[in-house]
Amino acid sequence: MGVPFEALIPYGIIIGMFGVTGIGMGAVKYFSNDGKQARWNRDLWDRFGLTILQQMMERDYRLTGTKRGQSTNVVAPKGFEVSNPWKLEKRIY
Amino acid sequence: MSRREPQFNQQILVDTTPMPDHIPKVDEIGTTSAPLTSAAYFIGDRCKAFNDDYMKCKVEANGRGELECLKEGRKVTRCAASVLKDINTHCLQQFNAHWECLENNNHRLWECRKAEMNLNSCVFEKLGLKKTIPGTPENVVPVHLRPKQQYAQYSGPQY
Repeated sequence: MGVPFEALIPYGIIIGMFGVTGIGMGAVKYFSNDGKQARWNRDLWDRFGLTILQQMMERDYRLTGTKRGQSTNVVAPKGFEVSNPWKLEKRIY
Repeated sequence: MSRREPQFNQQILVDTTPMPDHIPKVDEIGTTSAPLTSAAYFIGDRCKAFNDDYMKCKVEANGRGELECLKEGRKVTRCAASVLKDINTHCLQQFNAHWECLENNNHRLWECRKAEMNLNSCVFEKLGLKKTIPGTPENVVPVHLRPKQQYAQYSGPQY
């Protein structure tokens, strides 16, 4: 009593889709980090975010225009000095 | 310290009003995080007096530091800019090697000691700035000079 090969096709599809997911996630990670190794275990000082104030990677973004871009320019581009965010909070009293 | 930090902030405000004209202008530093990490100890070496002066001013201004310490703040910015300009002029190759290594290793200094040694020696030769880690006890080798880096991916002799 052999198993007909048609019975195994769904399993082939399932396992193939794991591969598609893996390649897709890898591609997203690669391109979102400009081909560099991803940063991890970052604290609020380093992190990138545009809603709450976060520091260094957000500053890099304002200076270079990409999330992982780096630059050794001594002088910031024009307009950088007025793009600095202030923290806001709700009044608690 | 000198002012109350906002707690639980959920939003940010970008105010694009430029500084008024009667305040002297200073160019902001355009260097990003990895090169700044790489140059941090040299900035600290040359600009220690200015930085300490600024922090002291902020403490003594009692919450009005943003207004009253603008002069000291400009000195801090100019001094850091001078260090970065000198490193860019004299040690650009070693500098680039080091911060690119940092950028690929989650900005962890202990992964990049070899590039750091090259940068440190170049900066010491050309600019006379020396990396010292504040608070290191007298009787131990500073962590950046140890041949073995305990937590590095390759923890053996680094150079």
